[in-house]
Amino acid sequence: MRTLSVKSFAAVGAAALFILGGLRAESLAASKKFYSDDPIWQSPKPAPAHTASRKLNEYYDFLSNTFFPAGERAAHTGTFLPSQAINTVDEVANSAWFTNRHAMRGMSIEALKIGPGNSHPPAAGMWTVVAAKNEGITPGFRIKDAAGRQYLVKFDPLSNPELASAADVITSKFFYALGYNVPENYVVHFDRGQIQIGQDASVKDAKGNKRPIRESDIDEMLAKAPRRADGSYRAMASMVIAGKPIGPFQYHGTRGDDPNDLVEHEHRRDLRALRTFCAWLGHDDSKALNSLDMLVEEDGVPYVKHYLIDFGASLGSASFMANSPRDGNVYLFDWKTSATQFLTLGLYAPKWQHAKYPAIPAAGRFEYEVFDPLHWVGDYPSTAFRNENPADRAWAARKIAAFTEDEIRAIVSTGQYSDPAAVAWIARCLIERRNKIVHAFLTGTAGLDGFEIRDGQLEAAYVGPSSRPPMNVRWASFDNFTGQKNFLPGASSPVLPAVGVEYLLAEIESLNGPAISVYVRNAADRKSVVGVERHFAPGRHQ
Amino acid sequence: MRNILNSILLVLAAASANHLMAQSDSRLAEIAARQEEKAAKAQPDEPNSVERGMLWFREEDPLRKFSAGIGGFRPKIGGLGAGTGFAAGLEYRKTDLTRARLTLRTAAQSTFRGDRKLDLQLSAPRIGSDKFFAEFYAVRHDYQRLNYYGPGPDSQKTGRTDYRLEDTAMDFTFGVRPLRRLTAGSSAGYVFNNVGHGTDSRFASTETVYSPAQAVGIDQQVNFLRAGVFAQYDWRDNPDGPRHGGNYFAQFSDYRDQTLGVYGFRRVDLEAQHYVPILNERRVFAFRAKSTLTDRGGDQSVPFYMQPSLGGAEDLRGYRPYRFRGNNLFVASAEYRWEVFSGLDMALFGDAGQVFDRRSELKIGNMESDIGFGLRFNQRDKTFLRLDVGFSHEGFQVWVKFNNVFKKGPVHTSSALGDF
Repeated sequence: MRTLSVKSFAAVGAAALFILGGLRAESLAASKKFYSDDPIWQSPKPAPAHTASRKLNEYYDFLSNTFFPAGERAAHTGTFLPSQAINTVDEVANSAWFTNRHAMRGMSIEALKIGPGNSHPPAAGMWTVVAAKNEGITPGFRIKDAAGRQYLVKFDPLSNPELASAADVITSKFFYALGYNVPENYVVHFDRGQIQIGQDASVKDAKGNKRPIRESDIDEMLAKAPRRADGSYRAMASMVIAGKPIGPFQYHGTRGDDPNDLVEHEHRRDLRALRTFCAWLGHDDSKALNSLDMLVEEDGVPYVKHYLIDFGASLGSASFMANSPRDGNVYLFDWKTSATQFLTLGLYAPKWQHAKYPAIPAAGRFEYEVFDPLHWVGDYPSTAFRNENPADRAWAARKIAAFTEDEIRAIVSTGQYSDPAAVAWIARCLIERRNKIVHAFLTGTAGLDGFEIRDGQLEAAYVGPSSRPPMNVRWASFDNFTGQKNFLPGASSPVLPAVGVEYLLAEIESLNGPAISVYVRNAADRKSVVGVERHFAPGRHQ
Repeated sequence: MRNILNSILLVLAAASANHLMAQSDSRLAEIAARQEEKAAKAQPDEPNSVERGMLWFREEDPLRKFSAGIGGFRPKIGGLGAGTGFAAGLEYRKTDLTRARLTLRTAAQSTFRGDRKLDLQLSAPRIGSDKFFAEFYAVRHDYQRLNYYGPGPDSQKTGRTDYRLEDTAMDFTFGVRPLRRLTAGSSAGYVFNNVGHGTDSRFASTETVYSPAQAVGIDQQVNFLRAGVFAQYDWRDNPDGPRHGGNYFAQFSDYRDQTLGVYGFRRVDLEAQHYVPILNERRVFAFRAKSTLTDRGGDQSVPFYMQPSLGGAEDLRGYRPYRFRGNNLFVASAEYRWEVFSGLDMALFGDAGQVFDRRSELKIGNMESDIGFGLRFNQRDKTFLRLDVGFSHEGFQVWVKFNNVFKKGPVHTSSALGDF
């Protein structure tokens, strides 16, 4: 029997150590804070998705979210679950969900008005109805224009001409500029004579059975729509989104058959912070059913792209009528409010019941004085909205702060209100609501944004209200593997300390707003901000 | 042995290389690896059994199919008159006559206690760009046991009797909508009446308790030719659940006795509803006043079963249906409604009214009154269910109705019961 030589034993031992070293290196790599490609601004190329269509029942969605909410939620009021689907500088990378637009690269006024596109309105000439929906709260039909493009056409309520069509168009432009995927929406005008019925066009009859559309169906539908002085009709035409529709996304969990849907939706910043965007735009009907996942193909790879759709119930509109005053202020059903009203015989009147609305039918019920950005709610709860934490709110507020008054007015003009008072009121509300959001979520250091190293020192833009707070900085060295930080004595100005460490940490403290940790990659040839963390005190901003 | 060792080293080195690749110092690579991992075990989401059931319900919509029926036939629930109880039957409806501009509807219904109704309606709701409408309506009721408590405001609760009423009415109505909120029209028709012995074993039949002087027409069968006009101005924001605005209507009808020539009369029905909201319409004060006045010639009289009546779910809610009958009537109601949540309003209400023969008899002090509370269930601001509990000195009444508390207006003339 031969035994292992010392040389061989040493070789085996060396190999074992190499493996252990590798494992350790892996564990270190897994725990290290910053990777070489941080911060990422673009999600990786999507993996091919072979996703099945999924339906969602609107009553189930309402009942489950109201009484049996799903998804992970913070255990107590005032505690927060950290945001996910963000990069290391506290921003959201471009993905199938979100694309950084106006706040990052400053869209021109013309681009803001164009939004997702304005070059494909329904072509003049005959419109062929291919399907119709004569029931529900907003009747409408699907048309094919002379160019072969298809649109969903919806009407305003008789009581409030221009209300829903303007809201649908305006809000889609804002959401696009904010970063979301939305359809191309157009205000259109047409005559009855322009409408013809397609060969296989069908509508559901009272029994729920499909039958061919008749001229009387079109007449009946148009009878519910306001008519203009010249006899024509105004409507909102939403161009059918390219791809295969596979149903709505939900505000919790992930889609099991979408390989690129990795983060639980209730933790996605772009869905949590959507609450603040919806608050700004009065989009209380921001339920799962007003979203749509589309299976699209890019470079031969099929993947799921996530859209927000149907903004007819935004601004002062509830689609089929003006907003209820409770919209945005209290859920459709809420135990506490309901019990209070029941027991007090309605003698208790919350603040929102005193809100004042001007008598502008096209504007519906939209206001800014009672508007409370922190406590604004949708029609019913969503786990993502409930999980919105102060960092999410501040992120959303920074996006909203990027809109100037002129830009807001320009987007509002795309609603094509015929009443100048409606244009002025909607714009004013949006400006004032923006100001309230900025004041509520970006006060003090929360308003510091756009950290960068310029000329050897740390700089930041300020997007908050009033005057910029002082930046009190304490520098530390930072170990990317252990997370250990060692404060550098005397380094308390924005100027980067001249030390030979791989990472530096700037702790920005403030009496007002969050403390902020800014991480700097301190390479010899280039120094750059690689991480931003905002630390909100528990219980605040709740 | 050296070979074995070399092999081991190679394997270990390869394994180590894999580890090194896996620990690539790249955020994007890490995410891509997770994408690959999920792609390998991707499974479509399956709705749970509750959601599956609700999806099926939504897709198949059995309630809609049930109410839509088969071949134009469908079940018909309710609508037989106050105090008759649950009614069910079969309805045939055809909406696509003459390019869907004419609707035919006919129904047969019965209650558990044997009341029956047959009706036929042929309507053209939109003629000439929605400006005009026309309708032919024929109805036959057979009420087995309607209550009669005696004439006038002083009738006693203990005086309850019952009678049978068969009436057949045919009316033609033509109307115009000159303005969006204004409707006017006229109607003409014929009514056959047959009054008889009540079938409720708990109470005496009317003719055994009340004389023809106290129950005018109990001993004679009378047919009428009737004609009339009506007008309605409706500026309620939402007729199915009004929060502001008003609804005012008037109807005049001339009844000519075609049998004996002694029961002719003219009848005026007036009603005003007004809704005053406060606190952004989350509180509504709803007011309604209505009066029915009859005018008879010197030797003429109104049969008791065609007299206006008070009591029931639509006016004096603390009293039984048809509790008071008289030649004239006045009733006023006030409600304070408040929103509990978006699907429910609550209400506190009070009603006061009186039947009277001469105007001098109409006095606040003489009025019967009640108070009560109610629940109004609604969906998208349309009330679909109403629960009212009314209290009066005669006890309390509970009403469950699938309508709003105040009527929409004079749709068409109908039976002898005094309904519009």
